[in-house]
Parts: sequence; structure tokens; C-alpha cells
Amino acid sequence: MMKWMTAGCLAAVCLWSFSGMAQDVIIRKTTASKLTVDLTELRAGGSGGTVFLRTVDEDLRRSGWVVPVRTGAGYSAGGTLAAAGNGLRVPLVIQNSETRQTLFNQNVGIDNADPKRMGHRVSDAILKAVTGRRGMSGCRLVLIGASARGKELFVCDADGGNLSPLTSDGSIVLAPTWGPRGDQILYTSFRRGFADCYLLDLRSGKTHQVAQYSGMNMAGDISPNGQDAALVLSKDGNPELYIKSLSSGALTRMTQTRSVGEASPSWSPDGSQIVYVSDAAGVSSPQLYLISRGGGSRRLTTRGSQNVNPDWGANNLIAYSSRQGGRFALMVYDPALQEHRVIAQDGADYEDPSWAPDGRHIFCTRSEGYRSTIYLLDIMGDPPLKLALPVGNWRSPTCSP
Amino acid sequence: MMNKRLMVSMLMICAVAMVFPGCRRKRAPGAISLDSNQPSIVQPLDGMGTEGSGAAGSGSLAPRADVFTSGQAVSANLTAILFDFDSAQVADPERSKAEAVAQYLKSNADCVAVLEGNCDERGSAEYNMSLGERRALAVRAYLVTLGVEPARLQTRSFGAEKPIQMGHDEEAWRMNRRVEFAVMK
Repeated sequence: MMKWMTAGCLAAVCLWSFSGMAQDVIIRKTTASKLTVDLTELRAGGSGGTVFLRTVDEDLRRSGWVVPVRTGAGYSAGGTLAAAGNGLRVPLVIQNSETRQTLFNQNVGIDNADPKRMGHRVSDAILKAVTGRRGMSGCRLVLIGASARGKELFVCDADGGNLSPLTSDGSIVLAPTWGPRGDQILYTSFRRGFADCYLLDLRSGKTHQVAQYSGMNMAGDISPNGQDAALVLSKDGNPELYIKSLSSGALTRMTQTRSVGEASPSWSPDGSQIVYVSDAAGVSSPQLYLISRGGGSRRLTTRGSQNVNPDWGANNLIAYSSRQGGRFALMVYDPALQEHRVIAQDGADYEDPSWAPDGRHIFCTRSEGYRSTIYLLDIMGDPPLKLALPVGNWRSPTCSP
Repeated sequence: MMNKRLMVSMLMICAVAMVFPGCRRKRAPGAISLDSNQPSIVQPLDGMGTEGSGAAGSGSLAPRADVFTSGQAVSANLTAILFDFDSAQVADPERSKAEAVAQYLKSNADCVAVLEGNCDERGSAEYNMSLGERRALAVRAYLVTLGVEPARLQTRSFGAEKPIQMGHDEEAWRMNRRVEFAVMK
């Protein structure tokens, strides 16, 4: 089934392209093929400096493309971290060690004095200069955590650091998702007693209501152009998929499935289609369906007793959870090749996948023994990483664009 | 190189920055966003009820009236209706419970009920929200056939978020797949 590498294989193996570009791009990946970067000329003092240097090192390893080494590196990155006003700055120079070509020579800075955020910024700059690829270290996650009064939204960095609470609704929150500009979060909360859908503006700190109809108002996904929200509403007597214009408020009902229910819509990167969950086939188990903007749906998954939680990435791949043998495996579907493949499957449940903007990694909930935490999976086969979050039941990570 | 004092102050600023995002600013009642990029349809909070009706089909829920959100709770001792796994059908053995609810509401004409649909812990949280809502809607439909006015029945799904039994076994799951009745007046 798969032209796919198995772990530990040292020979070069062909993989799909997942860069969102042409399908015939071949990526060679072996343990030995990672690029090497010498960071010894990257300098920073004090305890904040230690945090900064460790963050750069860990971020590059996490990227999957690059390994920091001390000798014989293919590339070097140097510069000294210094305060700049209220923020931090590094005059960052990145060179190809063989050709001595300078690939990058700019100040990289942030406007607050957070050495960890600064480390994320610098590691993404190094990754971009060396590989041409966008990194994920600077992105943020919104996730659901338990509090004494219920469940609230939290945000954290891609490595689990800088965790902070985002809501204090004192109730239950569900289904958080980022707007395409990374400055809004759509979610459902019981803050007024019923499941209503809200939009949190991160810049103003204000919360706005998006759907407060009778019955259930479940947050889904904001379209790539930021104009529309896909929602699941039961106001017409049954949970159905709707598109609501965020500018005009116009509501378009997309499904007519009396006596079955929809859930978890996610837009395609071009905004022309939505993948969602429904048990419309009458088989009494949730499966993935595709619907186009103009209507007309078709079933996408047939294997697995339940297929849920789809996330359609900017790389045009759909990550989802598939219940197989009593556990949720993490799967990826390529609509172009019409191929499904397993990313993670073991004695735990992998749910709520969310693509990182690098198109290579997936954040997800991993549950085992009724405890859940957040993991980072690599579709190219590097080992799963557990995020450094405090002990607790964390769920539904969604990565910022 | 930074000196130690600078690093300490940096870390303190950092600590404040970490705490700050959690302190969501208090919102003045009726305040609207001044951000011009803000979509205009999203309404500020504290303006409830304006979206309730819309173009409704025959199966539509009534707009959520205040009594459902702020009415006084009544202890009615109605028994929860239980469901099979992944099913929203009111099974025959459970129908007598629904009939008791209909009888109660007919005898207490000043009362309304929120039908609260729940699921067991297994499966997707979002799919379970839809499944819980369908359970509540199935009970609502049955109560309407028994003569209860639709406007007195509101639905609310808690999905898998409010288990009544905390165990992880068949018995706990069976008890958690339920519709409860929150009666108010």
C-alpha cells in the first residue's frame, strides 16, 4: 500500500511530496540525510540566554530537517543576543560552511523580552535560510484544559511552553479553531448555559457571538479567506452543516440529513470544499464526507468503524482519526492520490489532529488510561514527541496558521 | 553579552507577559469592537435573543425564551431516558419514561423543560455533541406526539462532557447515554 519508509531504515526512500506543490517532488529522508548546523557562534548570556540557546537547539531538532552539531556542519548560524529597547535582537548571520556563501544576514528581533519566543523566531529563520522551508516554532496552539470550574481554552507555544489561560467562562468550551490571520479563535462555550458559538478577537480581547440559535451551535472552521464560518447547528430540528457569512450574516444550509447528524467541518485550502463528519449512510457510525461549496456531497472513508476529527491542511492533505481495533489511529488522506495511510497506531487513542504550518507535523490528543495529553507527530517518521505541558487532561490542540 | 541585572528584569517582563494573555479585558456591556477588520455580523455579547428565530422549517426549535435560561429550577424527579450505543432512537422500554414526562408537563402547565442529551465517553467530542443533540431532539419529537406544546421544550446537548457515572465500563457507559429533564418555571 505504501511507498513509505519504515523506522530505522538508512537507505534513501522515496516519499510523497507533502509540500503542497507538485506531487512528483521526491523527498529523500534517511537518518543521515538531515542537514547539519553549527550553532557555536550563536551567543547569549545569563539564564535567559541559556533558555534562548536551548530553545533554538530544540526547535531545530523538532523541525525534523536539521540537526545542530559542533563539528563538520554543513551550515553555521551566529550572532549575539542583546536587549533592544523593551525587546530582544540578534544580528543573525547564516552561512554555508563549504561555499562560505552568506544565506542570511539580518537583525532578527521581537518587541518583548521573552527569550523563548526569541529562540522560536531565530530557529524558524535558520530553518528557512538553510532549507527554504517554513518552520512551525513560531506558531501557537489553542487547546482545551480542565480547570476547577470546568473546561477552558488555553494557548501555548508549539513546544508546549508559554502556557496561559485564554478564557474564564467557568463552563465548558469545545472545538476551538483559529481564523486564517491567526488573530481570532472561533469556539463553542456553555458560558450562557447553552452551546453557543463565539469569536474571540485576540488583539482586542473581545468576544463576539457568532451563533446563538435555539439548540446546538457548534464551532467548525473559518474559511481560508476569513469570510465564512462552517458551523453545525440544530436550529431547524436536526444537527446540520451550515455556512454563515461573517460579513453579512447570511446563513446557507449545506446538508439535509433528517435523523442523522453532522460534525467537525474543515475547509479545503482553496475554500471550494468542506470535509466533515456524518453518519448519513445509515450505517450508524460516523464517517468522513466531502461537500463542495455549491452542494453535492460524497462519502470519503469506508474503512474503520468511525472516522472523525478531519483537519484539511494547507498542504492539501486531510488528517483524521480512525477507530480501528478498538483504538483511534491517526491517519492522513491525500485527495490527489486517493490514498489513506497510518501515521500513528498503538495502544493509545490519537484524536483531534491539527496540521502544523510546516505541512510535515501534526499536533493531536493522545489518550491512554483515561489521561490525555498533546503529542506532535511527524508524517515522515521521526518519533512522536510529547509536548511539555503541566500534568492534566489536555485536548483538542489547534495550531495557528 | 547581557549583564545579570538586565536578564533578571527581562525575565520579570517575560513572566508578566506570560500572565497577561490570561487576563481578558473586562468588556463594557454592549461594547463593540473598534477594530475595522472585525467582521460586522458578529454581535457583541449581552444582546441575546436577536438570532433565535430565522427562517425556520416545520421541525424548527422555538426561539430560546428567557424562561429556559433564567427560569427557576423545579425538582420534578423525572427519570432519564437511556439509549443504545451510537443510537438516538427512543427504544420501546424507555417510552414509559417519556410518557411520565408528558404527563408531568400537562399537569404543570406553568413549567417548561430543557431536554439534556448526553453520550458516553467514547468517541469524538464533536460528534458526541451532535449525537447528544439528536437524542434530545428524538425525545422532544416523541413528547410532541404525546401532546406537549413544542414551545415548552428546548434541547441542550452536553455531548460526553457531563457523565453522571464516572466509571469506564459498560454499566457507566449505559447510564451516561441519556436524556435528562431540567424543568423550570
